[in-house]
Amino acid sequence: MIALLILTPLILFAALGAVWKARPVHAALLLALSLALNAVLYLVMGADFIGLVQFMVYVGAVAVLIVFSLLITRPGDEAEELARRPRSVLPGIACVLPVLAVLVFTVSKVTVPESGSTASISLETLGKALFTTHAPAVLALAVLLTAVMIGAALFAREPAKKPQNPSDS
Amino acid sequence: MNLSAIPSATPSLFSPELLPRLPQRLVEIILQSIGAPEWLVSIAGFGVAAGTVVGVFAGAFALLSLIERKTLARVQNRIGPNRAGWFGILQPVADGIKMLTKEDIVPAKAEKLLHLLAPILIVLPSILALGVIPYGREWTPVPLELGLLFFFAVGSMTELSIFIAGWASGSKFPMLGAMRAISQMVSYELPLMIAGLGVIMVSGTLSLPRIVELQSGFHLGFIPAWNICTPWGLVAGLLFYICSIAEANRCPFDLPEGESEIVAGHMTEYSGFKYALFFMGEYLGLFAISGLGITLFLGGWQAPFPGLDFVPSWFWFFGKLALVIFSFLWIRATYPRVRIDQLMRFAWLCMIPMALLTLPAAGIWTLLNRGGHGLLAWLVTVPLLLVPWVIIAVIFNRRLAPATRTYRFADS
Repeated sequence: MIALLILTPLILFAALGAVWKARPVHAALLLALSLALNAVLYLVMGADFIGLVQFMVYVGAVAVLIVFSLLITRPGDEAEELARRPRSVLPGIACVLPVLAVLVFTVSKVTVPESGSTASISLETLGKALFTTHAPAVLALAVLLTAVMIGAALFAREPAKKPQNPSDS
Repeated sequence: MNLSAIPSATPSLFSPELLPRLPQRLVEIILQSIGAPEWLVSIAGFGVAAGTVVGVFAGAFALLSLIERKTLARVQNRIGPNRAGWFGILQPVADGIKMLTKEDIVPAKAEKLLHLLAPILIVLPSILALGVIPYGREWTPVPLELGLLFFFAVGSMTELSIFIAGWASGSKFPMLGAMRAISQMVSYELPLMIAGLGVIMVSGTLSLPRIVELQSGFHLGFIPAWNICTPWGLVAGLLFYICSIAEANRCPFDLPEGESEIVAGHMTEYSGFKYALFFMGEYLGLFAISGLGITLFLGGWQAPFPGLDFVPSWFWFFGKLALVIFSFLWIRATYPRVRIDQLMRFAWLCMIPMALLTLPAAGIWTLLNRGGHGLLAWLVTVPLLLVPWVIIAVIFNRRLAPATRTYRFADS
């Protein structure tokens, strides 16, 4: 409980910083910090596997991908300027609200187990649940990630030149 | 020392097997004898165990920096450091004093906070990763159930740290080095992890001490039952070896800090103690990744021949570690640095397909061995791995290998 009280404000501040910071790299690093703190939260709550996977996937892969795409697309001053403009607030809120609604709806439906029954779920159970009952969600995520990869490659490619060797990017 | 003062419950306190844990045990016993609470005893014990690991590997780092220079000198027909102390034995001390007393320069364009954080964030994951490796039968500093996952999770932090170092320096060469480092490490982390996945499939556990225990025993009485002695294990082990060279940023994959191209990559704008920290992080990472490779494929602390159990098990671990690291030094002294396009092609066109193939091979191997068809397992998995390997090698050599460069002015 103490860990929760310490960690949650930190996560929130890091996430808010990721939104408010003008320089894209600062925002990306703060996002990575917030995701890493989430992993710590999972670890504190006893979900070791989820916590470590969160750290590996989000800090080790997603954050690195974000900074890498920042590097290859080189959003210079115009991105900084865009972030300062107030008009980006409204579309931002429009994007956030549906997600927030879905999250609140899902969280409200979760039944909290009684304290003391925090028996850790075995890896086998987790794996079976992922690849049987939740297989559609996993596949949908895979499609999403592929789409993101293709999008990143499109952004990174310079339009005037002939297409680069795919292994270089 | 009065031996009778030690409780009889721990008669093997001074056995060679438990030697690395002696400081931890002593602290625990002393704290218990003065009536310290239980949590303090366990925290102090873990602290001392962590201190032992850091101390051992910091010492090994100092030693390795000398051995590396001496070995390179021997290969290149030079003498190497020979001024400080007998045969240059005090050279690491001299280097340390030099590093500590140098001026700490922060470039005017640097991000002060991130510039300071980066070297710390590079050393930290290496030390954390060293904590979960089983060094001996009785010596795993932190025996985690999810040890392998923990290793990969903290290891994946290095890329972000290198990016921070390169970006926070606020100049061109560090940025170039960081970009090279990220693209290289992402590319080579993939086959590294897939090669490790085969071991997880066969062992059915993520606990590193358990993986070592499963590799005990001998086939036919003399071939150790290590994972490297199976077809999939040999391929996965070789891939892991190559990838660990790339992950440790060592020659021939030392592009991120290629001295003759981009000064020192992400470390260019660092000096003094921070530079030493980068160096230390790199070597600790090298120890950690070699230790993991030994744990996964070379049987960890298991003895290489039967009948050698009287030697403490950690001796075998460190012996293997010394051999693996010597092979790294030898490679560094022998091969030139690869180009970035060669590096990327090699990762995506050779390493990853082969690594993916080790997964079905490991699965077939396990299933057939469980059914008692040991010979059939060999007959199926060897062609499964050998044929694609030959195909990839032929294609790579014929079509994808970079064309021979012609030097217009040198040839005429």
